[in-house]
Amino acid sequence: MLEQKPSLIHRCQLKTNEQVTGTWHCLKLHAPDLCGARPGQFVHVRVGASSDPLLRRPFSIHHVVAEKNEIWLLVRSVGAGTELLLQARPGAVLDLLGPLGNGFPVVDEAAPALLAGGGIGLAPLYYLAWLRRQAGLPFELLIGAASCSDLPADDYFAAQDLHPLYATEDGSHGYRGLITGLLEQRLREGTPPARIHACGPLPMLAGVVELGRRFAVPTHVSLESHLACGVGACLGCAFPFKKGGQIEYRRICKEGPVFNGEEVCFEI
Amino acid sequence: MRSDPRLSLNLAGIKMANPLIAASGCYGYGFDYTGFVDPAEWGAIVVKGTTLKPRAGNPPPRIVETPAGMLNAIGLQNPGVEYFLEEIQPRLAGLGCPVLVNIAGETLEEYCQIASLLDGVPGVSGLEVNISCPNVRRGGISFGCDPDVVEDLVSRVREAYRGPLVVKLSLEAGNITAVARAAERAGADALSLINTLKGMVIDVGRRRPVLANITGGLSGPALRPIAVRAVWETAEAVSVPLIGMGGIRTASDALEFIMAGATAVAVGTANFVNPLSVREITAGLLRYLEQNGIAHYSALIGAARNER
Repeated sequence: MLEQKPSLIHRCQLKTNEQVTGTWHCLKLHAPDLCGARPGQFVHVRVGASSDPLLRRPFSIHHVVAEKNEIWLLVRSVGAGTELLLQARPGAVLDLLGPLGNGFPVVDEAAPALLAGGGIGLAPLYYLAWLRRQAGLPFELLIGAASCSDLPADDYFAAQDLHPLYATEDGSHGYRGLITGLLEQRLREGTPPARIHACGPLPMLAGVVELGRRFAVPTHVSLESHLACGVGACLGCAFPFKKGGQIEYRRICKEGPVFNGEEVCFEI
Repeated sequence: MRSDPRLSLNLAGIKMANPLIAASGCYGYGFDYTGFVDPAEWGAIVVKGTTLKPRAGNPPPRIVETPAGMLNAIGLQNPGVEYFLEEIQPRLAGLGCPVLVNIAGETLEEYCQIASLLDGVPGVSGLEVNISCPNVRRGGISFGCDPDVVEDLVSRVREAYRGPLVVKLSLEAGNITAVARAAERAGADALSLINTLKGMVIDVGRRRPVLANITGGLSGPALRPIAVRAVWETAEAVSVPLIGMGGIRTASDALEFIMAGATAVAVGTANFVNPLSVREITAGLLRYLEQNGIAHYSALIGAARNER
């Protein structure tokens, strides 16, 4: 007999489903069994009962409010699956697998951790930032988007006592340009950080890892992928990594989604 | 959950608690889903396609969702038979259900070598010979289309391996019944069908195929009526037991395959959507037996043919 583990399948009631920007919603779920999730871990959510769309959709844990038995998911409407999920009304019961994946390391260091979230990639960093705030660990949160209209309002962050530095490509909020530009400026001018945690599109993560290399700061990047199983069985999310001059494939859902940036093979 | 005698069977010498099999490639080595269900709830598990040498697999993207289905082009990523024997085989007994190993070679010799390495290995209840993988350049499906090649390959694997031998068929061959008969003549104890069907999706924004491999194998409910038809036709052509698969999600889906002539059924993609599929399908089968006053599910094998 195999050791009996706690079940990773949960039926969670949706408490609220609120729009936070044009296409982003924050879903708050009653999920006592998921409140122990680490920042950077994810849940794999069934979006409907029918066969189409067929597959679950993965979302990183956006926030945990343990005293309310609540987890938050930040969902951007990108297609049929997320559209269907966002139609769910408070009271609806969602089917979630999780918590899955490894999550970001929460390391106690004197130097600050830089947390860089590009677009919807800010979702797991919001919770990581909050946890570091709770633990009294230094950090700086950097957020990037095309325009401020793509981002939640400042009070969405201020409510958790988070005060991010912004980078917008159109200059509508904070630094004008890409988040990697803001990060470079910060690395050049501020206190040397202990590490960088990043989540966002692949080109951004490649840029973050490059900056980490230049400034000799370790990077932890959370990769995104379409997933089928989400638990390591199907090998559908495998991504190339450098290992001893060789390429090896690792599963984003199982060995990740957070990886040592130096090992990620971005040039695919 | 205790096994129910109304669902037990002996499939080509493999004693199974129920006719539900975890399909190869969809269940790893049986350990990835232990946080959801006890692997012993399965009648059997077929582990990931195993090759002689380790295979890195295909570059990403490897999967894409399609209407009521998905394409995959994993490319037989696996650590190779030696690693399997050293690291995985010793753990298999802990699963609590029979385990079959799906094997794939690039050459006929490779199939025989893997088969003889697995011959008599404890914890391995049988082999599933994969002559139908659509995602590798050499081997796989290229062996599965010609009945003469299939007969030669299966007879030689038969010589190398004494345990229960299942041959996994593809509908790509076009002449699945001829291939099925060839496998039977060569000594296959059972046939499993169907493997995924080759398909593709184009990203119209980027004007390129979505999958790095260009094509991938279609699985999921979209495949089901085609797979049921394949089982129906093959059941007429051979007398060895059939393992039917292709888009099974519910007990009713499983019953379609059984009534078409399958002795057992395999569940693949449905596990990704619902890791509790095995439990729910088992319960549904028992409910069907109760509602219809049937003492054992085997009375339903080929039932849709009997009334014609």
